[in-house]
Amino acid sequence: MRRLGLVLAFVAGSAAAQGTRLPAEAVDAFHAALRNKDTAAALSLLDRGLVVYEFGGVDPTAEAYALTHLPFDMDLAVASQWKLETRRVGGEGNERWVLSTYRVTGKQADGTPIDQVTLETVILRRSGGLFRIVHFHWSTSDAGFQARSQGQRTQGAAPR
Amino acid sequence: MRLATRLAAAVLGSGIAFAQAGHDDVVRVDPALKRLAGMITAVGEPDAEGRIYTFRGTPIGPPASTPKAYPPGELRGWRLTFLAGQRFSAAFEVQSNTDSEITVSAAEGPLNGIAVRDVFVVEEIELKR
Repeated sequence: MRRLGLVLAFVAGSAAAQGTRLPAEAVDAFHAALRNKDTAAALSLLDRGLVVYEFGGVDPTAEAYALTHLPFDMDLAVASQWKLETRRVGGEGNERWVLSTYRVTGKQADGTPIDQVTLETVILRRSGGLFRIVHFHWSTSDAGFQARSQGQRTQGAAPR
Repeated sequence: MRLATRLAAAVLGSGIAFAQAGHDDVVRVDPALKRLAGMITAVGEPDAEGRIYTFRGTPIGPPASTPKAYPPGELRGWRLTFLAGQRFSAAFEVQSNTDSEITVSAAEGPLNGIAVRDVFVVEEIELKR
């Protein structure tokens, strides 16, 4: 974890980040920006066509994600440790994907432990020689957590 | 929900703006920093060289936790980042504020390019330069 943290701190953390040369670097830089509370750096790694699927919810635009969920993701990144467990990278040309799993640990505000595996799919697009993120999909291997997340959304949804 | 907040949700294409969706309400962590989102309601007058450093804005967000106006003078030194519009991801330092007007430091350059309905966030953290 310490080695991962050092790598992430090296590749990102300043507001100057505006895409990266390698797809996986963009993913790591995004997480590092969140942990460093660097909103501008995180946003600079997002393609303006970003769509986010997060635990059953959808942020249909980069702007919607930036306003509604990025702040919480930053709060969570600061309050927890994300250990990269597996990663696969693929795609070709200007379209690439990065699949990662993280062991996320930490404590909630009330002291309740956080300990789950987060699954992350990232699709990136290269423009001007730099990769930016066009899609995130986060879910978890914790079926109970996923169910609670989606259950809350269902409770709040208007009847069809 | 306040009109400005509903308008922001419409502008951003989000039907679920500010709803507690997904893990937000399942995992509860302390905020990493104090923050206030807002929307531009009027762009300030340019100086003699055409540079704009001021705009009028209104807070947006969940009604229960969003003030109706900015606390005068309290945002000085906070970081301001645009979340929408032409200046998306650009960051500035707040130099001063009233209840509805924000002026940024000239160090990061002017705000030119901002427009009414652009969305931003001010956060209680020093801008890294």
